[in-house]
Amino acid sequence: MSSSLDTREAAGAPALLTNCGGIGFHNPVLTASGTFGYGQEFDALCSLRSLGGLVTKGISPSPRLGNPPPRICETAAGMLNSIGLENVGVEAFAREKLPFLRACGTRVLVNFFGTTFDEYVDCGARLAALDGVDGLEMNVSCPNIKAGGIEFGRDPSVLSDLVKACRAVIRKPLWVKLTPNTSDIVALARACADNGADAVSIINTITGMAIDVRTRRPKIATVFGGLSGPAIKPVALRMVYQVYRAKIGIPICGIGGIQDGNDAIEFLLAGASCVQVGTQSFVDPASAERIIREMEDYCRAQGVIDVRELVGGLAISQ
Amino acid sequence: MRYFDARVIENRSLGGGYFVFRLGGCEPLAGSRPGQFVMLRGDWGRDPLLPRPLSLLSVAHDGRADLLAKVVGKGTALMERSPPGSRVSVLGPLGNSFPEPSSDVTDLLVAGGVGLPPLFMQAESAARLGLASGSEMLYGGRTSRDLVLLGEMRGQGIALHLATEDGSLGRRGRVTDELEARLEHWRAAASTRRLRIMACGPRAMLWAVGRIAQSCDIECYLSLEEQMACGIGVCLGCAVAAQTRPYRYVCKDGPVFPASEVMAHATAASTSPNEGGQQ
Repeated sequence: MSSSLDTREAAGAPALLTNCGGIGFHNPVLTASGTFGYGQEFDALCSLRSLGGLVTKGISPSPRLGNPPPRICETAAGMLNSIGLENVGVEAFAREKLPFLRACGTRVLVNFFGTTFDEYVDCGARLAALDGVDGLEMNVSCPNIKAGGIEFGRDPSVLSDLVKACRAVIRKPLWVKLTPNTSDIVALARACADNGADAVSIINTITGMAIDVRTRRPKIATVFGGLSGPAIKPVALRMVYQVYRAKIGIPICGIGGIQDGNDAIEFLLAGASCVQVGTQSFVDPASAERIIREMEDYCRAQGVIDVRELVGGLAISQ
Repeated sequence: MRYFDARVIENRSLGGGYFVFRLGGCEPLAGSRPGQFVMLRGDWGRDPLLPRPLSLLSVAHDGRADLLAKVVGKGTALMERSPPGSRVSVLGPLGNSFPEPSSDVTDLLVAGGVGLPPLFMQAESAARLGLASGSEMLYGGRTSRDLVLLGEMRGQGIALHLATEDGSLGRRGRVTDELEARLEHWRAAASTRRLRIMACGPRAMLWAVGRIAQSCDIECYLSLEEQMACGIGVCLGCAVAAQTRPYRYVCKDGPVFPASEVMAHATAASTSPNEGGQQ
């Protein structure tokens, strides 16, 4: 990696190298959990090696079957999903998915979750012990079955305890992916920072719904689902900026509706150190690779030598 | 499976909202089999966002590929208005296919409305193998305007049995009525030939076809449609309840399933929903 970077710098190419939450990336573009499978699915469609990193489908201690169909529907400039956190579980992940990821040439973050405190801790510890896992991203948008199904990530004090408990057993970089379904994103981000998280990923999907007027039924079986896609970008950007401005002491990975290089640059200017491309990988499976090139073009055109100088560079007139 | 750019060569309206989209530059689709599909998206900005899953109607070796669609929403309306020369992105070929035509089986191809493409392609494949006489096309729709490409199918040399709900063309009734009539015909003929059913169309029609096949103990394959975002087994949006596993995926396990595998779906899934659960 270092030799190719040297070559690019010598040719006057802007440096895209960056660091976020204890992990060095050769560029700031990662692919988001739930939209990139376990990496292998995209091997023939985009160069995984060119990515800054990828975040796997959310993994739980045991396999999960997911929700009944219909599970997704399209909405204006976006989509709703209620997949139900279907995944292969830790054991099958380690056995069947990780060997490919170990050799794929990019940074690998494993998204994980549980339905109880103990499951989170157990799952995080087992995944962190695996060779080939560069870091973990904790999904706290899972219903807490012992607390009536309220998401772990909605209450700052519950979130504090959860992050603290996971931090104690996870010796690798630990990121927390925050829910936007809150009135105080800064309080949630601070709960993570104060309890040892290395970074926060902002945002997960926004809860929404859609109705088929012909049948008068909800368009997805669980009625509510998570909205993603370009429709949510302004909300995501606002939340990234709010957390950046609050100076919580840990970096931000920006997520939400990124479709092109300019979208990604907006997140950096709002304060994100890196970004994740999600739903756009469904629209255009090679989009992450293109977004990296477009960011490089932007930097060249704007005379930006090092992409890190853009982070938090929003110009606001006083 | 490849992801590539293609161009619209011809966009032919068939009336009733149906149109054939002829694409050039589809060399990666050569060798596609009946039942396979592509995810297609035009250069139409951010809305509608997702690519559309469309079954292949016909694929030539010179990079031409035909798709049949009907205007049902924003995406298909934009497709229908795409002039020749328009750029589209294509991901495919995706999914599995119907069993190949065989000289010792008679295939009853049952198509409902815009579910025609995979069966049209299956008929084309039978004709190419010199097996057109071993297949029958049973094709139904609401009115005569829903029955398209009839000349092309007659050209394939395949027996065509039509049904419309308003009686404007062929039998008055549903295509499943026609299926029952054809099965009765084969029973009366006391033929020893093995029968096989392949179907694509609205979900209610498919379950009806599946039930008829089950009651007669006839091998039956159904090509399912479901909402999907990616086409490659990543979004997990296109789950259908199945017999041998809790869920199967239309994009990577299908779209063609043995009827016995997915008929469970007709009685609905029974797992408890995780309300508001997100990816």
